[in-house]
Amino acid sequence: MKEIYLMDIAHGRSGDKGDTSNICVFARDPKDYELIRREVTPEKVKAYFGDMIKGEIVRYDVPSLYGFNFVMKHALGGGATLSLRLDSLGKSMGSAFMRMKISVNTDIEVN
Amino acid sequence: MKKVIIGGGQGFWGDSNDAAIHMIRHANLNYLACDYLAELTLSIMQRQKLKNPQAGYARDFIKLMDEVAKESFDKNIKILTNAGGMNITECVSQLKQVAEAKGLHGYKIGYVLGDDLKEQLPELMAQGVKFENMDDVGDFNDIKDKILNVNVYFGHEPIVKCLEQGANVVVTGRATDSALFLAPIMHELGWAKDDWDNLARGIMAGHLLECGGQGAGGNYQYDWRGVPNMDQLGFPIAEMTNDEFCITKAPNCGGIICEESVKEQFLYEVHDPANYITPDVDVDISNARVVNAGDNRVRIENIKGKPRPDQLKLCIGYHAGYKVVSYLSFAWPDAYEKAQYAADILMKKMQRKGLRPDEVHISYVGLNSLHLGVADMNPELIKNMNEVVLRIAIRTKEKNEAAKLIPEIAPLQLNGPPGASFFGGRAHVQEVIGLWPTLIPRDAVKLSANILEVK
Repeated sequence: MKEIYLMDIAHGRSGDKGDTSNICVFARDPKDYELIRREVTPEKVKAYFGDMIKGEIVRYDVPSLYGFNFVMKHALGGGATLSLRLDSLGKSMGSAFMRMKISVNTDIEVN
Repeated sequence: MKKVIIGGGQGFWGDSNDAAIHMIRHANLNYLACDYLAELTLSIMQRQKLKNPQAGYARDFIKLMDEVAKESFDKNIKILTNAGGMNITECVSQLKQVAEAKGLHGYKIGYVLGDDLKEQLPELMAQGVKFENMDDVGDFNDIKDKILNVNVYFGHEPIVKCLEQGANVVVTGRATDSALFLAPIMHELGWAKDDWDNLARGIMAGHLLECGGQGAGGNYQYDWRGVPNMDQLGFPIAEMTNDEFCITKAPNCGGIICEESVKEQFLYEVHDPANYITPDVDVDISNARVVNAGDNRVRIENIKGKPRPDQLKLCIGYHAGYKVVSYLSFAWPDAYEKAQYAADILMKKMQRKGLRPDEVHISYVGLNSLHLGVADMNPELIKNMNEVVLRIAIRTKEKNEAAKLIPEIAPLQLNGPPGASFFGGRAHVQEVIGLWPTLIPRDAVKLSANILEVK
């Protein structure tokens, strides 16, 4: 086993609605969809972000796009102008997510 | 088979006009739609209007029209926008002046009134509307005396009415971004208002175009280095028939349209992909496909729709206090340690001076101000940092309370750890605007479609 960044096998984008952040995540190669589905669970994502996200995290699977949509409540420090964060709209939440590490078999081909 | 070609000309208020101008000149458009409104924009526009009764809309749109009104009129490219913001009539009046100055006789300006419900709030409360927060936080009674603006997100109907009356341009307030695109497509292809699958396709055309460059290789995580000519990024264009829905871009501009670029925008700011709720239709993209269909061309398939909701979303902006944000930079050696020490000094000063903010947020630009708790805080990395910028932000209820922090920052250049450098001038107190998303019955909203013809 070895650890890789989610970024190595996925790409996506973050957006905001009030204090809710959504991050869509797509497998760079369809063969890794199942690996992401298995490894990047809402529970693991919640533990990864810790205090940054105060509310629940729901994952919606979209196999036809080899993708997922993570919807994270109370995730932006209040949202809009209530948030004191530099990135109050969570534009960098997508890349923050992508540096999550996941365990893979050493024989997996990483892009 | 009849085809509608529509371009997305703006991603937000403050976006560049370059791509919209390029599209009018070089793409074979039937329509151009320009979205200016993000969640907070109307509250900011309302503030501007309170200071100046002639402000409160996106003046950028008038500048764009000054460039393209004549050419779009000559080519019969119709333009739709929510640039009217909180002052639709003033936006229309400025647009009329542009059209007159360019001699556009018979130019028809359509406009939609009725999304601003602030004056009707007491009446709606009396009717029993509860204004419960969709995010399940707070009590409406706590904000009802601090309200700045109340606007309802509305769908295609009044925009289609303007087009049916021959409008060359349609100006609205809080039309949903996607309705600006759905309306002309419906109008051209004759879709019924309960043709849910087709309406959902039209909404997704809007969804993929409403953020401008972000739908054509801007903010593109998959391979940003591989995006050609980002300095002249084209914005996306949708081509829609009853059978086929494609995304492309104008010739001779930068950017990229491919499966990955379209997918990143496809789920952007969507929550449940099986229920992307709009005033026009409940969109289901949970089985949709995005397929490469040629050079800078992607085909979208298998979008489904379900009946529209009975309620409409209302966005209420309210005054939520004040904040101050300030910065102080430190250089090697021990840049981070010095910046932390300066933050500690500021915390002690605030306490001693009786300043009790509702919230304090301290972060270090160059280290963890974006990725916060998941930033890499490896001590070896931190030890050799060339520089770091302390960022301190506080939020208070009272304006003079927030202001107390401001004079404490600059003195740390002489009174704190060595090498502190203050930049950007003195901080200022900013108003904090909170957003209160809620729902109201559709039939409580009365919108009107109007036409003004330039003689």
